[in-house]
Amino acid sequence: MATRTVPAEIRSVGLAGRIRGRPVVIGVIGLVALAVALVAAVTIGSTQIGPTDTIGVILRRALGLDLGGHWTAATETIVWELRLPRALTAAVVGAGLAVAGATFQGIVRNPLADPYVLGTSSGAALGAALAILLPIGLTVFTFGLVNLWAFVGALAAALLVFRLGGSGGAGGMTRLLLTGYAVGSILAALLTMAMYVSGTNLRAIFSFLLGGLAGASWERLALAAPLILGACLLIGLRARSLDGLLLGDAAASHLGVDVGRERGILLVLATMATAAAVAITGLIGFVGLVVPHVVRLLVGASARRVVPISAIVGAVLLVLADLVARLLGDVPVGVVMAILGAPFFLVLLRQTRTGYEL
Amino acid sequence: MSSPSPSARSAGARARARSRVAASLAAVALVLSACSITSSSGGPASPSVSLATVAPVTTPAPTPTPVAAFPVTLTDDEGTAVTLAAEPQKIVSLTPAVTETLFAVGAGDRVVASDDASDYPAAAKTLPHVVDFGTVDVEKIVSLDPDLVIAGGAGFTAADAITRLRSLKIPVLVVSSTTLDDIYTDLGLVGAAAGEGAAATTLVDTLRSDMTAIGTAAQAASQQAGTKPRVFYDVGYIDTTGQIYGPAKGSFLDEMLEMLGVDVITGDPVTYEVPLETLIERDPQVIILGTNAFYTPTPATVAKRTGWSTLSAVKTGDIRSVADTEITRPGPRLATGMRNLALTMYPNLVLPSVAPSDAPTASP
Repeated sequence: MATRTVPAEIRSVGLAGRIRGRPVVIGVIGLVALAVALVAAVTIGSTQIGPTDTIGVILRRALGLDLGGHWTAATETIVWELRLPRALTAAVVGAGLAVAGATFQGIVRNPLADPYVLGTSSGAALGAALAILLPIGLTVFTFGLVNLWAFVGALAAALLVFRLGGSGGAGGMTRLLLTGYAVGSILAALLTMAMYVSGTNLRAIFSFLLGGLAGASWERLALAAPLILGACLLIGLRARSLDGLLLGDAAASHLGVDVGRERGILLVLATMATAAAVAITGLIGFVGLVVPHVVRLLVGASARRVVPISAIVGAVLLVLADLVARLLGDVPVGVVMAILGAPFFLVLLRQTRTGYEL
Repeated sequence: MSSPSPSARSAGARARARSRVAASLAAVALVLSACSITSSSGGPASPSVSLATVAPVTTPAPTPTPVAAFPVTLTDDEGTAVTLAAEPQKIVSLTPAVTETLFAVGAGDRVVASDDASDYPAAAKTLPHVVDFGTVDVEKIVSLDPDLVIAGGAGFTAADAITRLRSLKIPVLVVSSTTLDDIYTDLGLVGAAAGEGAAATTLVDTLRSDMTAIGTAAQAASQQAGTKPRVFYDVGYIDTTGQIYGPAKGSFLDEMLEMLGVDVITGDPVTYEVPLETLIERDPQVIILGTNAFYTPTPATVAKRTGWSTLSAVKTGDIRSVADTEITRPGPRLATGMRNLALTMYPNLVLPSVAPSDAPTASP
């Protein structure tokens, strides 16, 4: 990371007085928590499978090590084909949404921005609904057509918003936000219409809207993970630009940030991560909006800390929330996150003496 | 925000519609917390069905059991070829009708799990559930290591779950009945998949002849009466939105009512929905309330529904109730349902004896 001095107003906000050295500590704690969460997610489920068998299955399938354990084929399938890809998908998607949320919040300087602020959610949902509804969708459903269309829909919606609203220029952010809202409204209306005529397919569309990880598989993870993790990494490498943009266009220019270019790149990267996440898990809310704020309250608003730690916290949160959702009979994971996460967020907000401004 | 239209399916299972409606509504309620949608509640439905004749237990003619034809490749109702290497020993049923069918053809002891709506026969009630409120627990199914899963089509079982199970090399047979002929076909299909093809053939033959016999007797009563009353079979009603659900046009419920010689008022073939204006225009002379544990309207609550007071049936008070499950569940007890429906329509009807197309293990 660049060692260039970060403007004081960024560094001193939040719990600035106490954070020196702590981002690393928080990061390490987060990584340990992520490991624990992943192990728990693979070990616990509606079927009882001992940790020995769980580890044995993973070692055999991942590394080819045979430690002489004996388990049924069903056990192996549950651990390797169902739980492990699902837990890893939760981690990747949680990280991607949290980073995308942090990025959008920084770019548009609006604390209520989330990964879906540019209409990607409506675009993805409409794409998925069309894939489910069109006659061809029924037969090709198995090959992830819904996922593909959701991805295309999300990107198309964001592109449309960029074209109409512009991604750069002074004062362009308000126009971009409102364009996102307007385009999103049109797409949401079309989606409602699609749902209204969907007949037997209503449930499939609805479950996409609720979002969830039940459809996770190695194949889908393999397609989405490079996009999501790649985008997160590139955003992390551009965190300094994001910090600059937080100060406003003029200040960013003075800091040597090419405002229009950097903003455009960050928007594209965050949109890419969001679209890939939405494509494999449907619309999962909360994590993208709240995690960046939690992280800012913990480590301050500097994007160089917020981006990587948001990725870790987002991953942990979604893995744990999905585990709870699974244990409750596969209830929507967004519901679990909001019910368990929002009170925690409220407590954190109250305990923080000094807030921060985006 | 208006609630999405409840997802009653083209295949005419009342239980199916109910569970889907429940699932959709539960989801809507969870997310929106805005609409509370309840069925009109009232006192328990007064049973208006009296059996005109007691059905004696007839012993089916012994049929030689054919040599088990496994491995076998069956084509399910979605056109998917499903290959079964050997006679399934661990069967998971994801619909109540399939569960009943499996027990009726004598494969009940090989059913290892079912959905949460499978409540018949008694032995099925103790099965572990792998579907709750429409959500399929794939992991639990896998842990049971089944060699056959039978799911409901037309969205009854989530398509994602079917895809996932198949990707894990578990054979999934999807059945989806819209018409009476579909039901007969599906009974045979489920029987064949379970390796009880002969029993299923007997079951279907009996069911078919029972249905015809009841229909013939009812037609005679209808002609004797000399009128063809306009009848609305009330499948469901949502108080908050006033949405009305009736027999889907072309569904087996529509067919059964036609067989009774009445003028059937039908709903949308896909959504089951009947616009209030259509109902008023068609003006039913008889309203039959299909009641079950989850839907308990009474003539009094029906009379209070917005716009219903103009209906002839409401004015004359000709609102009847009948136990709905046997009538709208596309399973082996359909003749019982048909019989109850006929007796609701013609209380003095003397019906030919009907062989109970029931599970051998079930006690009445």
